[in-house]
Amino acid sequence: MTDINVLVVFHSRTGRTEKLALTAAVGAVQAKANIRLRWLREAADDAAIESAPEWKENRQRMEKEYIAPREVDAAWADAIIIGTSGSPPELQDYLASLGVLGSAGKLEGKVGAALSSASIRASAAHEKNGALLAALAQLGFIVVPPGSQSEALERARLQGRRITEVARALKGAGLAG
Amino acid sequence: MERVKIASMITIRKNQERGHADHGWLNTYHTFSFASYHDPAHMGFRSLRVLNDDRVAAGRGFGAHAHRDMEILTYVLDGSLVHKDSMGEKRTFGPNTVQAMSAGTGVVHSEFNASETEPVRFLQIWIEPAVRETEPSYQQIPFDPEEKHGRLRLLAAPKEAANGHAAALYQDAYVYAAVLGSGESFKQALAPGRHAWVQVARGDLAVNGQALAEGDGAAISGESNLCFAGAGPHGSEFLLFDLP
Repeated sequence: MTDINVLVVFHSRTGRTEKLALTAAVGAVQAKANIRLRWLREAADDAAIESAPEWKENRQRMEKEYIAPREVDAAWADAIIIGTSGSPPELQDYLASLGVLGSAGKLEGKVGAALSSASIRASAAHEKNGALLAALAQLGFIVVPPGSQSEALERARLQGRRITEVARALKGAGLAG
Repeated sequence: MERVKIASMITIRKNQERGHADHGWLNTYHTFSFASYHDPAHMGFRSLRVLNDDRVAAGRGFGAHAHRDMEILTYVLDGSLVHKDSMGEKRTFGPNTVQAMSAGTGVVHSEFNASETEPVRFLQIWIEPAVRETEPSYQQIPFDPEEKHGRLRLLAAPKEAANGHAAALYQDAYVYAAVLGSGESFKQALAPGRHAWVQVARGDLAVNGQALAEGDGAAISGESNLCFAGAGPHGSEFLLFDLP
């Protein structure tokens, strides 16, 4: 079986998107992928974080448990899954850093997907993800849309599986970079 | 009819022959090949695939990573660990507890030193399952330290034998812990066709007369009786693996 590397990059304040990212990673592992989980460190100022105890606690914990995505992670990955709630500036910064790699042709043939954090209807999730999926397509990713499962965690798990299977099929066919 | 005699054999794996990596936050010894330590002559023993002796600095640990199709046991010697996984478990545990994660179809987990001030030392054990693609599960079983004093305390066994008292494994393997004071001893039978691995966690031990020091391991085949004796000034704490 072709070895597939899946990078899961997420932005999470309360831990909800982190849970979705972990679940997507489990789905990828179930499809026999190697995984890396990376956290987009928040750029918010300290005063704002200090004022929200839950945010502060989660941030301190995640700071300990995860490292930020590095250029080598994107280079290593056959597929990248991005999980965010909305479109925070940290995501824009990360997409810009991917843009640099994309311009150098280093994202050619890689597969991209987006997780939606809220437990919302699949159709609404698609809408929210539209902009991110379009941005990934622009960077040169082959974009895999999420499935239609109504439950967010199950959707994330199946998406992890699906992105792995798509990346494996592409690689097997010699279409991946 | 002539009977085939299986030669009895004890092969010692010395502490200092193990793979070693010191990353500052993690000081680890690998009895068998693991991570960047690769030795084709030491890829495991029977279904015992990994036996790591880890020391993790205060507040540090292993971030989220994945496992598949592996029975993973953790046995803390000093300090405490906090475990978190994709099944929703978040648990802290210390010595005199067996923690078992059956990875099956796949889990993602992290493990950190639970203390911000003290280091943690633990043995991490991977046993290859006899069945693949099982549902992942987590078990944590504490016990009274008296139960391992001068006798074997079962840590893990096949489900029917574990009986809620030890961690259930998808492998016909029995894992025990014991503490023997200097000069104390006991015997344990090894059934025909079974193999044993002995790992010394602390102190000095003699197995069938062979001296083992802290960090040493021994592969035993073709023996029907194992005699353990605490040696040195303080005796020993050790693990015994009875394997198919």
